[in-house]
Amino acid sequence: MEKVNKRYPPDAVSRSRKLVPAVVVLLVLAIFFQVLIDPQAKEYHKGEAGLAETGTGLNNEFLILPLLGFREAAAGLLWVRADEFFHSGDYDAILPLVRLITWLDPHADNVYVTGAWHLDYNFTDTQERSDRRYIPPAQALLDEGIRNNQNIPDIKFEKGWQNYDKIKDYPEAEAAFKSAIAGPKGDGSGVRGTDDYPYAAPIKTWHMLAHTYEKEGRIPEALDEWQQALKHTAEILKASPQDYPDKMLYSAEKNNYKEMLQRYHDRYTTTGHDHNINPTAYPAVMMPPAGTKKVGPWDVAFQPKIEVTRPKVLKISGAFNSADGARIGVRISDWDYQARPLTGAINRFDVDQSQTILVDSIAVKKAHFEREMDMSQDPKMYSFSAPTYRIILYYDPRSTAPFLQDRFGWNGEGITNDNPDRVRVDQRDRMFGTKLIDGQGGTGPIWDGHTAPWGQFGQPPRLIMVTYKVTREQMLGLKPITDKDIIPNGPDIPLNE
Amino acid sequence: MVPLAIARQTVREAMRRRVMWVFLICGVFLIALGPVFGFLSPRDSQTVLRSLGLAAILLAGLFITIVTCIYLIPTEIERRTIYTVLSKPVQRYEFVLGKFLGGFATVFINIAAMGVVFLVMIYFQEHKIPPEMFKGVLMTFFQMFLLAALTIFFSTFATPVVNFFLSFGIFLVGNLSSVTESLTTNHNPIVRFAGDTIHYLLPNFGNFNIQNSIIHPVTEIANENIFIRNNIVYALIYSAVLLTLAILIFDRREV
Amino acid sequence: MATAISIQGLTKKYVDVWQKQEVVAVNNLNLEVQEGEIFGFLGRNGAGKTTTIKMLLGLIFPTAGDATILGKPMGDNNVKKELAYLPEETYFYDSMTGWDLLDFYARLFRIPEPERRRRVKLALEKVRLQPEAWKRSIRGYSKGMRQRTGIAQALINDPKLLFLDEPTSGLDPIAHAELRDIVASLRHEGKTVFLSSHQLADVELICTRVAIIHRGKLLKTGTLKELLAGEHTEIVVRGESLTNGTVGKLKAVARILEGEGTDTLRLSSDDTEKVAAVIDMVRGAKGHILAVTPHKRTLEDVFVETVRKEDGV
Repeated sequence: MEKVNKRYPPDAVSRSRKLVPAVVVLLVLAIFFQVLIDPQAKEYHKGEAGLAETGTGLNNEFLILPLLGFREAAAGLLWVRADEFFHSGDYDAILPLVRLITWLDPHADNVYVTGAWHLDYNFTDTQERSDRRYIPPAQALLDEGIRNNQNIPDIKFEKGWQNYDKIKDYPEAEAAFKSAIAGPKGDGSGVRGTDDYPYAAPIKTWHMLAHTYEKEGRIPEALDEWQQALKHTAEILKASPQDYPDKMLYSAEKNNYKEMLQRYHDRYTTTGHDHNINPTAYPAVMMPPAGTKKVGPWDVAFQPKIEVTRPKVLKISGAFNSADGARIGVRISDWDYQARPLTGAINRFDVDQSQTILVDSIAVKKAHFEREMDMSQDPKMYSFSAPTYRIILYYDPRSTAPFLQDRFGWNGEGITNDNPDRVRVDQRDRMFGTKLIDGQGGTGPIWDGHTAPWGQFGQPPRLIMVTYKVTREQMLGLKPITDKDIIPNGPDIPLNE
Repeated sequence: MVPLAIARQTVREAMRRRVMWVFLICGVFLIALGPVFGFLSPRDSQTVLRSLGLAAILLAGLFITIVTCIYLIPTEIERRTIYTVLSKPVQRYEFVLGKFLGGFATVFINIAAMGVVFLVMIYFQEHKIPPEMFKGVLMTFFQMFLLAALTIFFSTFATPVVNFFLSFGIFLVGNLSSVTESLTTNHNPIVRFAGDTIHYLLPNFGNFNIQNSIIHPVTEIANENIFIRNNIVYALIYSAVLLTLAILIFDRREV
Repeated sequence: MATAISIQGLTKKYVDVWQKQEVVAVNNLNLEVQEGEIFGFLGRNGAGKTTTIKMLLGLIFPTAGDATILGKPMGDNNVKKELAYLPEETYFYDSMTGWDLLDFYARLFRIPEPERRRRVKLALEKVRLQPEAWKRSIRGYSKGMRQRTGIAQALINDPKLLFLDEPTSGLDPIAHAELRDIVASLRHEGKTVFLSSHQLADVELICTRVAIIHRGKLLKTGTLKELLAGEHTEIVVRGESLTNGTVGKLKAVARILEGEGTDTLRLSSDDTEKVAAVIDMVRGAKGHILAVTPHKRTLEDVFVETVRKEDGV
């Protein structure tokens, strides 16, 4: 069959002679712009997971939205669903949703924050003790949120808060609050148009940083942060002098600042309550307690005792010679307990149920403490599948109440124990607090209550601490736990996991 | 003037199509539904309203663009009205451009209408209209501009049904630009070649989705204005490619 | 008189890729249409009439051959200013009003206001569309009104050459007659009309020249007179005196079909004056006129005869 050729009009033919090269040129231009756009788009989509990952967890009605590019809408709807699970108490169902939402919308700041809070606080045993195995994934979630949202202070703040309040890892909290204050550029400047502008973080961040420094025993820096906060609040007040909450805030900051100065005065100056000069290195905390003449660190005579009353039920009791309100920390775990390595899977927040860890504390009343730790009711949390266990009983002066710190000092300078093996000085670099007027020996200048004579660091916290190494049989009550199981406190102090 | 006259007439015809109104009403309904979801999740009412609203505009805009543009040229041929137009001193490229302009003007009117509803809802919820909302709607306009050009291009040779699947399919693939971009650096040369081809030759729709920085105001795109400008220029250039191809094909199309 | 349309060897073949079949829609067509003519283009449905027009207008493209329209190659955009086309059974944009539709088409000719208004009004008046319908949407129009609107859009640019494809088909008798008259009147305005139709009666009434196309092939072309050739009147006369001398005279005026040598003759002529002359001669010779029978051929006869002959029926 012969080929049929159409005869096109001359202007169509001459037009195509011009248009074909035009198409080529335009296409090259389009590719050029594509190349220009790519790096920015890559930066913009940082943190988003591919559809291969999100797709596995999404059912059809939700899959269509991200397919069309509406990732945030899908994330928003999933978050509405997660909210229902919060109300119905279906806490396990929330975890994969948190994973999916943050994959779909890596800028959903409150999902990171709420998700991590949920992991840290909401999984408990029958005695309302948190499941510490959820802490590493919670921290990882916050770190991921921070990586994806350098501009958002809230996630950094939340990381600081959870380390301060839940984990009591103050150096970690300090770093998080500091990075929130430093902002995306690291120079403290905020993003224009955000609530905190010109600052990078809300004013409460300075407050929390001040509190954190105090818990670290770093008093000059704590005072400095209160002054920073006062400065910022004063500026805010300048703009709106009649704003009642801001006025209240300002006065609260002032009170906190003053109170800390007062505490410094009371705890560490050479002037005692009676305005007599105290000649000791740590004047206030070394004062002889009422009715005694003995000067020097106070002996708490820590004498713990562990009985296994039933399998997996530990009655922990003992003597701790301090005022009421001190708390003896309890940490029971697999001997080699380590944070579970995280996977990229949708179930990454699931915990390893073969791991056992319990963290709690017991209040001291009339120099005595006693509590039964029942781990038999929650086999999912306390499987006791390891052969050996580490039990740590301790008193940490840094996380203790202020009235006890008045006696023992921020770092436990005024505390000791009749058995020196049970005094554990944490020499890790990150733990050093302010070296106060150590070395002045009472001969230094009398502090005027205003200028800071400090500036050196090097005061480590002094913990009262006992470590047991026990076997599974002992945990099950087949063999008693005695003082013979006490081993020397190791160089690592795994209290903040 | 001739393309404008055709565009004007196209808008009048397109605005009478019932299916367009169905999508428009669905879109407005979804936007209006935003606060309802917001009440379910009070902490995130702003996020939900913003994201759902923008998604509704995009979704309704997407369907309105496709169902409007796939029929513009085939209907003319089917009803033979194209004979009365092309037998007049109207160049075929003028006809294609007129149809494209008319199709996009229809889409523009629809998106603008939904945009107004959306901004009113935002105003009621937030008591202000943040300027970034306009950026989002602007990007949607140019995304749909590119899609309209694509659909018009296909309609010069494909039937409406084929066109629907082609346009919709390429829109989906084009939305996966972050995925296709990652393919361009794949170790496997065959995958890389396919990735390069898809990523650089197919229109890239995904880069127009900047809802994130709108929904979460703290999220910033570095040099956002340059990013938006580059994407708009990209949309214009790529649409020019598609329309030129459409003209080339339509010049040889027997009607 | 100048040539309006000149077609040389125009051919349109379609190839069906799937069935590997070749269809010849128009086969080596040669045709000339002079300016001022109303040219009838006759053919059955599917004969290739519309295909030819669409090729001439550049809507589809020939596979061979060439044509010029008003001196320009076919499909030339500039020449379209002088052309008009009314397609068969067009729906138009029926949401528009008649007025808006014509205004739209006038814009395509780049006719500016206020000239545009004048042209629209003129065209609508010319096709006698009732003014109260002008601002109503076409959806409510009757078929006749639509067809009037269609012719009005063809007249909007005051074209030199109109292509009308079945303008009168499917109309009621009154509308049919009116539209036919409108088309006929175009001739008086000096316009050339290329009328494609199978309404043979209309063509016979208004066309000056006709072409018959069948299965893509041009079978016959010529003036009506040429096509209708063979029209004659038979006269049967009797008279004894005719045999002596008158026969010779009669022979000079009309053809003797039979009866030569007898007193009854059957004569034939295709000229009415000659028929009258025969009658006068017979009467002058005291003969009797037995019968005068006009034998009239219609275009239909010619068309059917031509098509049947081609098909070998």
